[in-house]
Amino acid sequence: MQRRNFLSAGSLGFLGLNLADLLRAKPNGKAQSCILLWLEGGPSQIDTWDPKPNSAFQPISTNVPGIQISELLPQLARRMDRLSLVRSMHTRGSDHPQGTHYAITGHEVNPAMQFPSIGSILAKETGARNSMPPHVLTPHWEKARQYEDYFRSGFLGPEYDPMCIPDPSKPDFQITDLSLPKSVSAEAVENRKGFLQMIDRRYRTMVEGAEHAQMDGFQAQATKMLLNPAVREAFDLSKEPAKLRDRYGRDAVGQSALMARRLIEAGTRFVTAAGFHSNSWDTHAKNDEGHRDRLCPPLDRTLSTLLDDLKDRGLYDSTVVLAMGEFGRTPFVNNDRGRDHWPNCWSLAIGGGGIAGGRIVGASHAEGAQVTSRATSMGDLFATIYKAFGIDWNKEYDTPIGRPIKIANSLEDQTGQPLNDLL
Amino acid sequence: MKLFLLLLATTAFAADPVAVRLIPSTFELHRAGATQQLLLIAEYPDGSTQDLTDSAQWTPNAPAGQVTAATPGPIQVSATYGNLNATAAGRIETAAGPAEFRFRSAIGSIFTKRGCNSPACHGGVKGRGGLKLSAASLFPQDDYEWIVKGGEFQVLSAESKTARTPRINLQNPVESLLLRKATGATPHGGGKRFAVDSPEYQTITNWIQKGAPFGPPEDDTSRVTALEVYPKILALEKDQKHRLLVTAIMANGRREDVTAQALYLASDRQIATVAESGLVTPAALGETSILIRAAGQAAAVIVGVIGDPIANYPVVPKNNFIDEHISGKLRRLRILPAALSSDVEFLRRVCLDLTGTLPPPARVTEFVRSTDPKKRERVIDALIATPEFTDYWTFRFQDLFRVALFSNGINAKWSQMYGEWIRESIAKNKPYDRMAWERLSAQGYDGPTRHFLPYDVIGSPEETMAEEVRVFFGRRLECAQCHNHPYETWSQDQFWGLAAFFGRMFKMGDTGNEYVIFDHPLNEGMGNSEVNGKIQTLHPRTKAALTPTLLDGRVVPPSDKENPRKALADWMVQHPHFAEAAVNRVWAEFFGRGLVDPVDDFRSTNPATHPELLARLAAEFRRNGHDLRALMRLIVTSRTYQLSAETNPTNRADRVNYSHALPRPLLAEVLLDAIGQVTGVAERFTTTVTANGKVTQQTPAGTRAIQLREPDLFHSRFLDLYGRPNRLALPERSGKANLGQALNMLAGPIYNEKLAASEGRLQKLLASKATDEAILNDLYLTALGRTPDAAERQQILTALSAQPNRNEAWKDLFWAVLCSREFAENH
Repeated sequence: MQRRNFLSAGSLGFLGLNLADLLRAKPNGKAQSCILLWLEGGPSQIDTWDPKPNSAFQPISTNVPGIQISELLPQLARRMDRLSLVRSMHTRGSDHPQGTHYAITGHEVNPAMQFPSIGSILAKETGARNSMPPHVLTPHWEKARQYEDYFRSGFLGPEYDPMCIPDPSKPDFQITDLSLPKSVSAEAVENRKGFLQMIDRRYRTMVEGAEHAQMDGFQAQATKMLLNPAVREAFDLSKEPAKLRDRYGRDAVGQSALMARRLIEAGTRFVTAAGFHSNSWDTHAKNDEGHRDRLCPPLDRTLSTLLDDLKDRGLYDSTVVLAMGEFGRTPFVNNDRGRDHWPNCWSLAIGGGGIAGGRIVGASHAEGAQVTSRATSMGDLFATIYKAFGIDWNKEYDTPIGRPIKIANSLEDQTGQPLNDLL
Repeated sequence: MKLFLLLLATTAFAADPVAVRLIPSTFELHRAGATQQLLLIAEYPDGSTQDLTDSAQWTPNAPAGQVTAATPGPIQVSATYGNLNATAAGRIETAAGPAEFRFRSAIGSIFTKRGCNSPACHGGVKGRGGLKLSAASLFPQDDYEWIVKGGEFQVLSAESKTARTPRINLQNPVESLLLRKATGATPHGGGKRFAVDSPEYQTITNWIQKGAPFGPPEDDTSRVTALEVYPKILALEKDQKHRLLVTAIMANGRREDVTAQALYLASDRQIATVAESGLVTPAALGETSILIRAAGQAAAVIVGVIGDPIANYPVVPKNNFIDEHISGKLRRLRILPAALSSDVEFLRRVCLDLTGTLPPPARVTEFVRSTDPKKRERVIDALIATPEFTDYWTFRFQDLFRVALFSNGINAKWSQMYGEWIRESIAKNKPYDRMAWERLSAQGYDGPTRHFLPYDVIGSPEETMAEEVRVFFGRRLECAQCHNHPYETWSQDQFWGLAAFFGRMFKMGDTGNEYVIFDHPLNEGMGNSEVNGKIQTLHPRTKAALTPTLLDGRVVPPSDKENPRKALADWMVQHPHFAEAAVNRVWAEFFGRGLVDPVDDFRSTNPATHPELLARLAAEFRRNGHDLRALMRLIVTSRTYQLSAETNPTNRADRVNYSHALPRPLLAEVLLDAIGQVTGVAERFTTTVTANGKVTQQTPAGTRAIQLREPDLFHSRFLDLYGRPNRLALPERSGKANLGQALNMLAGPIYNEKLAASEGRLQKLLASKATDEAILNDLYLTALGRTPDAAERQQILTALSAQPNRNEAWKDLFWAVLCSREFAENH
C-alpha cells in the first residue's frame, strides 16, 4: 500500500485497521456488537439456568411462562423475556486452560497453531467504528495471565488482539498508552517527531523496508488518538451517573460490565467483561455456599442492570449479550461438598442483537448430567452469533500455510449450525 | 555508484550460442507408444542458456523434441541449430504386445492433467460433491473404488456416507456419471473438463467398455517415488520461452518421461505463465515458482525472469562455499550484489545476531581502529565465546522448544528444569543431533521429559509427533492427522504409525507433583489408573490398534526392555530431513528468511531458493558432527552475510536471493534489552505465580529479557506488543509494526520512565557537564553502533541549541533515537 493511502486510512482506523477494513461491507444483521460476561471457572448449571432436583436450591418461575430458573437469580427471573437459555451445551476440555481455549475459540488446544478467538473474528469481520479499538477485554488477568492469550487473534494478526485493560473498579484505574504521561507535553511530541525524522533520514535513504511506511502511518494515528480526548473518555467511568455505577455493582464484575456497555456504545465491537477473575465460579468445595453467597448475587445484579441499561439506551437490539463460563459443573457433589468440571452438559444465557429472549434451546436429563435434546457445540453458538451479525458462519479462514479454519467449528470437524429457534 | 553505472552500460548481446546439448543425453522407452521429451539447450558466452528445442532441426523427425517408441533397439537422435549439433542415445525396449493397462497411468493421469484431483477440487481434503480423489493420483486404489464402487466420502471415517452407487455405467459407458460430469452433460461444479470427442473421453469410454479394470496392483515397476524436473532453476530473459522436462523415477529406479501428463501451475502469473505442455513464458521481471503434479508426486521449479545482461559483471570475492552458491545464482539472474558492509554495519549486525546484544561503544571504537585483516573472523570467535552467546541461543531454543509454564506441566520448577537442559546444551555446544535425540527419547525426570507435559497431562501422541516432526524435520505433518496430506505424499497411515511411538507414554508418581515419564512396555495395565486403557493408539478412521512404524515402513514392535522412542530418535536424527531442517532454521536466524521459507514448511511445492546450497550446508553440518557453533561461524563469515544493506538498481526488488542485507525488526526481547542498554535502565520483570513454593515478585536486578524463561510467568505488555510468542503453540513471530507499538512509544512507560530515570545514562551524562557533541557521540555509538556523520552532527546540534530546555530537548532526542527504524531494526 502506498504511504499516502495508508495515512488517509490511518486517520480513520484504530489498531492497525487499513483501507481494506474500511471498505469491507458492514455487517447486515441486527447485531453490531457483543458483550461476553465471562463466568470464569464454570457455573453449576443446575444451580443457575437449569434447575434440577439434585440442586440445593428451588426453581422459581420467571416472567416467561413455562421457564424456571434457580431461586438464586430472582432479578434475572423478572427479565427472562430478554434472555434465552441454552441448556444443552456440549463441549471439550475438562480443565480450565483447555476449556477456556475451547469456549473462546471453538477449537481444542493444539501445539501446531494458535486459533483466533471469537472476539478477534468478530473484530475482523465487522471492522472498527469511531476510532475505537474493536476488541477489548477487562479486567486483564492479574495472575495466570496466560489465559489472556486464548482471547487473542492467533494468525489473524495483532490488530485483532483484544486491548486488555485493568480493573475499572479500582481507584487507580487508568489505561496506559492511551494518554500522554504528564511529563510529555504536546510540544514534546512535535519535537520528538522532528528529531525522529532527522535521525532516520540517512538510514531510510540507504535501506528500504516495508515497515517504515507502516510505522509512519501508525505513529500519525497514535498521535491523533493521544491528542484526541474522545477516545480516552470512552474509558472514563466517572462520566457515568453514580447511581448507575451502584446498580451495576462497584466491584470488578459490575464495573467491567458497565465499561463494556460504555465501550460498545462508543464503537467497540466485542468486549469481554471478565470481572469474575477474582471471584471464580470454580466451586470444587462448598459449591452451594459459593453460588448462594458469592457468585449468583453479583451475576443476578450485574446482568440485570446491563440488560436494563442496554434497553434504556436503545442498544439492546444491536448488542448480543452472552453470559457463560468455560464449562458446567458435575451434577453430583464431591467429598468437599463441591462440584467439579463438567463439559458434557451445561447451560448459558444469551440475548439481544436480534437473538430472541425468553426461549429455551435443548434439554438435559433429570439430573443435568447429559444432553437429551439439541446438543449444542461451541460452533453452533458461534454460528448463531455470526448469523445475528449477518456474517456467513460457513466461512473458513486460511492459515498462513493454507489450512482452512472454520470460524464456527463444531465437533467432529463439522461446521456449526445456528440455533434458528433464537433468531 | 559511478562504477556501477559503468557496469550497466550495455554491450552488444552475444546472439550466437557457443555450444548446444540435449537433455537427457541418454534415455530408455519401455512400451510401445511411449514418448520421450528432449530439450536442446544452448549455451552462450556469458554463461547463460536458452531452450532452442522448437527452433532446431531434428533427425529423425521429432516434433518439438518428442521421440515416440516404435521399433525396438537403439536409436540416435540428433538436433541441429545453425552449425551446432548435439546427439542423444536412446534405447527402445518394448515387450511383445501392447503395454499393460494400469489405472493410475491410464486414467489417474487424466484426473491429474485435467485438474480433477487438484487440492482445490476432488483432491481436496474433503473431496468435492462426495467424490474424493487422491492428489495427483497418489492412491490409485482408493480413487478406483470411489469411481467404480461409488459412494460419498467422509473425512473421519473409512465408510461411505451414503449407499454406494457406481460412478460408471458398464452397460452403457457413455451414460457413466464420470463422463457426464466431466463433459458438462450433467451439471458439474467444476465445469467441463474435456469434450465428448477428446482423447480423454475416448480413453475413459474404452476403459469402461473393457469392464473398468484396475490392472495389476501397483508394484516397483509402476510406483513413482519422485519427480525430477529439468531445469531446477530457470533464468529466463523477457523475450524467451523455455520447456520443462518432467521425469518420474520409479521404485525400481527406472525413469519415465511424464512431461505430457503433468499438471503445471505458475504461483505468480504476473511473473511467468506455463502452458499445458510445460512451456514457460515470461511476463515481468521477478521470481516465481511453477508447481508440477504428476503420478502422485509434486515438484517445483523456480523461475527468474531476468533483466538486461550486465556487461563486465564483476568477480565477486568468495569467503566460503555459501558465496559460490549465492553469487552463482545472482549472476544468472543478472543481479549485482551489494558492496561489503562497512565495519560498523557488520559489527552491529553480527553482535545482534550472535548474542542478541548491541556492541558496547568501546568495542565499536576498537573494531573500527583495528587494521587486522582477520578482525571480522576474530570478533566472530570472540562473540561465540561470550556468555551473551549462550544466553541468546538458549533463548532462541527455548522459543522453539517451547519453555513455558503451561507447556511444561504448569509447574515453574519443571519449566526451569527443561530450560536448564537447553541452557546446558547450548553452553556445552552439545551436538544438535544429541539434543534432538535426548528430547525425543526422554524418560524419567530429566529436563527434556517436561516438554511432554503440556497443561500437566501427557500430550496426545498425534500432536506430540506432529510437533517433533515440525521442529526437527521442518515439515508439517499435522494435516495428515485427519486425512492424507492434501499437497504431499504423507498418508494418514504413515502419520498414525509415527504417532504410535508417543502412544505408550505415561506419568507416574503420586507424591505431590513429582511425575516421572515412562513408556509402557506391555499391552496390559499396570494397576495404575493413569496407565490402563491409554497405551494403545487407534487409527481414527479404521479404529485399528497401531504399532509404531517409521515413515519408511519399518515397524518397531513394542518390547518390554526398550524405550520405543529411542528407535524413533535414532532414525530421525540420521534422516536427511533432520540436518536440512536444522541448517535452514539457523540460516533464517541470520537472514530473516530460510532457504526454505517458512522454515518449518518444507514440501515439494515450496522449493528452496538455493537447493544445492541447502544440501551442501546440511552435508557440512553432518560432517561437523551437528556442531551449531561451527554452522553459525560458517554463515557469518560468508561474504553473503556480510553484504551491505544498501541496494543498487539491479537488486532493489530482490527479497529472496541475498543480494543485500534485508533489514529485520529486532525481536521483542532483544529490543527491550537494547533500550535498557542504551538508557542504562534495565527492565525489572515481575511475576505473581508461585515458583518452588515461593512467590517470586521480581527478577533479580540486571536480568535481561532474553534470560527470561517462561513468557507466561513474566508478563510484559511491551514484549507482547512486539510479538513475543506465548509458546503455547509453536512460535511464529510476527515482526509487523502495529498501532499499539506506536502508542506505547509515545505514551508508554518503557520509553518515558527510562529517559527520566536519574540513574540512567542520559541524566548522568547531563549531570556530568559533557558537551552536547560528546553526548551525541556517545548516544550514537551506544544505540546505532556508529558515530553521526558530519551533516547529521551539525543538523542535530543546531536543532538542540535552538531548544529552550536542554534537559527536555535531550530527552526528546534520546526518545527519537530509540524510536528510529535504524535502532529498531537489524540491518
